[in-house]
Amino acid sequence: MGTYTHPDALVSPEWVALHISDPAVRIVESNEDRALYTQGHISGAVEIDWQVDLQDHVCRDYIDRAGFEQLCGANGIKPETTVIFYGDKNNWWACYAFWVFKLYGHKDCRIMNGGRKRWQIEGRPLSSDRVSYERTHYVALEQDSAIRALREEVLKHQKSGKKLVDVRSPEEYSGERLHMPDYPNEGALRGGHIPGAVNVPWAMSVNDDGTFKTAKELTALYVKEAQLKRRAPTIAYCRIGERSSLTWFVLSYLLGFSKVKNYDGSWVEWGNCVRVPIVQGSAPYGESVAAEATVALPSFLAAPAATTLPGL
Amino acid sequence: MNSVQSRLDTIITEFSDLDGREKLELLLDFANGLPPLSAEYQARKATEDRRVHECQTSVFLWTELEHDSLTLIAEVAPEAPTVKGFVAIVAHAIAGQSAMDALSLPDNILERMGLAEVLGILRTRGLRAIVSHVKRGIVQKLAAVEISTQNPTQTLES
Repeated sequence: MGTYTHPDALVSPEWVALHISDPAVRIVESNEDRALYTQGHISGAVEIDWQVDLQDHVCRDYIDRAGFEQLCGANGIKPETTVIFYGDKNNWWACYAFWVFKLYGHKDCRIMNGGRKRWQIEGRPLSSDRVSYERTHYVALEQDSAIRALREEVLKHQKSGKKLVDVRSPEEYSGERLHMPDYPNEGALRGGHIPGAVNVPWAMSVNDDGTFKTAKELTALYVKEAQLKRRAPTIAYCRIGERSSLTWFVLSYLLGFSKVKNYDGSWVEWGNCVRVPIVQGSAPYGESVAAEATVALPSFLAAPAATTLPGL
Repeated sequence: MNSVQSRLDTIITEFSDLDGREKLELLLDFANGLPPLSAEYQARKATEDRRVHECQTSVFLWTELEHDSLTLIAEVAPEAPTVKGFVAIVAHAIAGQSAMDALSLPDNILERMGLAEVLGILRTRGLRAIVSHVKRGIVQKLAAVEISTQNPTQTLES
């Protein structure tokens, strides 16, 4: 992991195994399938669920600051605790939870490289014990607007031609599909992408065993091919902000991008908004498939040809 | 009483007394009880389009109807025990029942079990698609039976 910008943001399964009983460390599992944690988790790990625990149940938003303080307190987490996130699906939801913890200013967050998959490949034990910790008093910070982009900001960002990265599948990006292959449609009325966004599917960041690719491979992907810039304000989005949390993590912690935000409203919001610009096709401004593009481009979007990614 | 409704009611009662964690444990028991595919269905899986495309995980379903008695054959990826458990519950509820009775499967099974709160809105919606899929399978079977009755020379393929 030597050449990642913030190698400390990742820990290995071995490191986690050695810190299972460390009172300064709290291990948090976040999964797509909730029953997986019940079936078996790393000994001592608590579960924080992206839907039930991290989202407000009425408003489409994250839990508020008081809700976050409550959640951390209930899981025995203190502001100084080292929190290790891991989960299924190559750490999607682990990165999502990590991002929410950073949103409320938790200092020491790390991802267990490879998640549940790598832990199991290494033949490490899982426990089905019930886990509880003494309640702690947790004081969170206000939301950090430096890592979260809301719709109005995305619109401005896009209009001024700044960097956007769409991490969905090529079919969702082009507008052929409204949702991931084999996933339910979460309700976007229009297909396509935000004009100017380059398409780097999130899965290109990970290996088959769930671990992240090397710094060299990630640099080739994001900096050389997709032409994203370390110091340029960049917004990542996907469908509901989960896959883009992983890309946000990769760009911010592994590659040292300093101004990346996650647009958690993502396509489910953008694809339903009235009068926001959308383009279809495989190129950032839609020009390579002009015949298919059904959305008229405003003049400010008449930009020169931009990057397309080979093979995807 | 051994109708689809009464079997479901029994399961729903069992679930509704439990806390969130226990509900997931019971769901896992159902998941563990789903038998693996027989060699025949393993072979058919390779050649037939039985994947439930609305579902977020790898789910293969066959709705079999013989002498108006239903069987739901299923394979669900092991990394999706929630889906597997829910499919097992649906399979249990309709096993050996008549097609018409099975069409009364309600859409709000998860809500009534109290699992919707444990799983969240999006997962609940995904699982509901399985009930719709099974019901569609039953309707197709019924239509096939009707065609074969009208035209007895036609063989009835599943």
